[in-house]
Amino acid sequence: MGFAAHLIALAWQALMRNKAQTLMAMLGVTVGVGALVTSMALGRGAQEAIKDQLLAAGANMIIVNSGNYQTERAGAGGSPADHGYIPSPKPQRTPYLVKGPIPGFPNVRLLNAHFEDDPMAEHDHPLASERLGDNMAGLGAAATLTLDDAEAIRNEIPGIDFVASGVHENARISLKADPMKQWFTRLHGTESDLPVIRSGWIFPYGRFLSASQVRDAEQTMVIGRVVAARLFGEGINPVGETIVLWNQDFRVIGVVDSTSWAAQPSAGDDQFDAIYIPVTTVHSLLNLSKLNTITITTESAGETTRISKQIEDILRRRHGITEQMPDDFTVKTQAQQLLGKGLSPDVARIVAGNLESIDALTIEQLSASLQRANRTMLALLAGVATVSLLVGGIGVMNLLLLSVTQRTREVGLRMAMGARGSDIASQFVLEAIVLSVVGGLIGAACGVLVAESLEQVFQWSTDVSVISMVFAIIVAAVLGIVSSVYPAHRASQLNPIGALNHE
Amino acid sequence: MSVISLQGIKKIYHLGDNTVHALRGVSLDIEEGEFVAITGPSGSGKSTMMHILGCLDSPTEGSYLLNGKNVSNLPRQELADIRNRMIGFVFQGFNLLPRTTAVENVELPLLYTRPVMSNAERNKRAVEALTAMGLADRLDHHPSQLSGGQQQRVAIARALVNKPALILADEPTGNLDSKTSIEVMRLLQELREKQGITIVLITHEPEIAAYGTRIISVRDGVIISDEKNTPRNPEEDLAAVAPIAAASGY
Ligand SMILES: Nc1ncnc2c1ncn2[C@@H]1O[C@H](COP(=O)(O)OP(=O)(O)O)[C@@H](O)[C@H]1O
Ligand SMILES: [Mg+2]
Repeated sequence: MGFAAHLIALAWQALMRNKAQTLMAMLGVTVGVGALVTSMALGRGAQEAIKDQLLAAGANMIIVNSGNYQTERAGAGGSPADHGYIPSPKPQRTPYLVKGPIPGFPNVRLLNAHFEDDPMAEHDHPLASERLGDNMAGLGAAATLTLDDAEAIRNEIPGIDFVASGVHENARISLKADPMKQWFTRLHGTESDLPVIRSGWIFPYGRFLSASQVRDAEQTMVIGRVVAARLFGEGINPVGETIVLWNQDFRVIGVVDSTSWAAQPSAGDDQFDAIYIPVTTVHSLLNLSKLNTITITTESAGETTRISKQIEDILRRRHGITEQMPDDFTVKTQAQQLLGKGLSPDVARIVAGNLESIDALTIEQLSASLQRANRTMLALLAGVATVSLLVGGIGVMNLLLLSVTQRTREVGLRMAMGARGSDIASQFVLEAIVLSVVGGLIGAACGVLVAESLEQVFQWSTDVSVISMVFAIIVAAVLGIVSSVYPAHRASQLNPIGALNHE
Repeated sequence: MSVISLQGIKKIYHLGDNTVHALRGVSLDIEEGEFVAITGPSGSGKSTMMHILGCLDSPTEGSYLLNGKNVSNLPRQELADIRNRMIGFVFQGFNLLPRTTAVENVELPLLYTRPVMSNAERNKRAVEALTAMGLADRLDHHPSQLSGGQQQRVAIARALVNKPALILADEPTGNLDSKTSIEVMRLLQELREKQGITIVLITHEPEIAAYGTRIISVRDGVIISDEKNTPRNPEEDLAAVAPIAAASGY
C-alpha cells in the first residue's frame, strides 16, 4: 500500500469517526450523482432510440433509380406495385387490373397489379435462348445506371457507408407444394450486404443471402414477412420450402421483417412485400447487365442532402447530361418516401406540431424536431441532477466546516507535529473526495438501477455507458474538491497554538 | 554548541488598545542532555516561552538559535518542518487522537516527514517507540482503553518517534495522579540519562520541577532565578506514595 493509499485509508477512518454526519453528507452526493447517471442514461437512451428509429426507417439511405419516371409518368395515377418501376415503352398495352380476391382462388389475393409488369408473363419457359434482354425486361432506354456508376459514387463521395447495386422486377411466385397459392410481389436482385444498409431489418426465420450464394448465382430466396404470411401463413417457418419463380425452383432461406415503428410491413410495400434473390441470379436468368437502382447509406443521417446533391452531380457528369437536359435518373432519400407513407402517428404528431410545412421537411428537420422534444425532457432531468448535486455539494461543505470546528485541536496537534498548512488542507480535501467518490459510486449504482427499472417498468429506452459512469465519478470528485476548498483553506490557516488550546 | 540559545527574547501581545508584555527580554542557553524545569506562577509567561521554544510562535524581538540555526523569524511552513524534525511535544492533556490506535497516534509525526517515509518504516518506528515505553502489548488500543499514565506514555513515544533534538513537555503531569506523575518523571529522567535527550519541562508545581537538573523560575516575563539542581529520586517518592495508594484502594 503506497503513501497515497495510506492517506486515503486515514481519510476514510477520519470519516468513519463521525458515521452519522458522514452518511448524511454522502447521501446528498449519492442522490445528486444518482440523478445525474439516471438522466444521462435516459438522455442517451432517447438519443439512441431516435437515431435507431431514423436509421431503421432508412433516414440515412439514398436510393438512385434508373430513369426519371416522375417526369415520364406525369399525370399517371401512382400504383403501389410499381415502386419506381420503369414503365414499359409499349403504350399500346392495356393493363389488366385485378383487385381483391380472384374468383375461384380464395387464397390468391392480388392487391393491385399489372400482369404485364411481370417480365415472365409472356415467357413461361425462360430457356437460355429465350432469355429476355435488358429491353424486354423493362430496362431498356430508361435503364441508365451501371456498375461503374456505383463504383464512382463509392469512390468519389466522402461520408458514404455502403453502396449496393440492385435490379428490381415485379414477379409472380407460387408454392411448389401447392401451385394454387400464388402471390404477385416485388423481386429484388441484390447483394449480401443489403441487410447492413437496411439497418431496421430482422430475420425471424433463417438468414439473408450469403456472399457465396450471390457469387455462385444460386437459386435461393429470402422472402418478406408479408409474402411469408400470404404464402405460408402467419407465424409459420417457411425456411427450406421451395418457391417457383419463372418456372425455376428457389429454396427459401430466410424471412425478413422490420424492427421500426416508422416502417411497419404492409401489403404492397417495397421491402417486406418482396422477395430477395442474388442479383447475379437475376442477371443470368434474365440475361441482363444494367441496374435499376443504386442504394447508398450515409454515415450520418444529417448528410443525406449534401450527398444526394453530389450523387446528382457525378451521375450527370458521367451520363454526359447538359445543363438544359433533365436527369436520366432520380435521387431520393428514404426520408422523402417515409413521409409519404408509413410515418408513425408519434412522428407525425411531432412533425405536425413543430413544422410549418410537411413538404419542406427534410430528415434533418425531422430529426431536429425529435431531438427538440428530447432536449426538453433532458433539460428537466439535468435540472434535477444539478440541483441535487448542488445540495450534495452544500452537504459536503457543511460536514467539512463542522468537522474543521470539531477537529480544531486535532489540526493544532498535527501542526505541532510538523504538518504544514498544505498538509492540513489536502487532508480535508482528500476526505471530501473520498466521501464524494464513495457517495458517487453508490449514487452511480443506484442511478443504473433506477434507469434499469424505468426501462423494465415503463419501457423507456435507457443507455448506461461506461463513459457516463466515469463522468459521474469525476463529477463527484470535482464536487468534493470544490465544496472542500473553503473549509480546507480555513483549517490550513488555523494558528497552531490557538487550535491546540481550542476546547 | 548549545541546543537552545535565546538572546533578549520579547513577546508582546496586542489586545485591542492593551499591549501585554508576556516576555520582557529572556536570555538563556540550554546544553545537550540538560533536563530543564521552567517554573513560575500562572501568567508569568511559561507557556509563551514554550511556544517560542517549540517554534509554534515567533518572538516579537530577540533571537532564537536552535542547534545553531536562527529560527526566530521563519515562515510558517519552515517552522512546521523544524517542529517535525527537531522537537517532540508532550502536552498536559495528552492530545491523542480519539478512536485511533496507539500505533497510529505515534505514527502521526512521521506522516509529515520529508521525504515521505514508507508505510512499513513508519509502522516499525512507531512500534519500537511504544515498546521502549513499555506498551508493546497495547499497540492497537485506543486512548479510551488506556489509563492516564499509559496515554501519557503513548504521547511520549509520539514525541520521541522522529528522534528530535529536544523534548518540550508542557505540564505533562497536570492530568495525572501523584504516583503516575512520579512514574512519568522517572521515564523522562531515564530518557535523559540513557539517551542523552534534552528536555524542557514546564510546570507550576515545585515538586515536579525538582526532578530536573536545572530549575529556571519565571515571573512577569523575566527569569528571576536559574540554578543547577540535584534531581529528586523518583524511586524514593514512589516508595513513599505506594502505601497511600494501597490504602486508598489503588
Ligand atoms: N494569545 C495571547 N493574547 C494575548 N495575551 C496573551 C496571549 N497568550 C498569553 N497572553 C498573556 O501573556 C501572559 C503570559 O501568559 P502565559 O505565557 O500563558 O503564562 P503561563 O503559561 O505562565 O500561565 C499572560 O498575561 C497572558 O494573559
Ligand atoms: Mg500556561
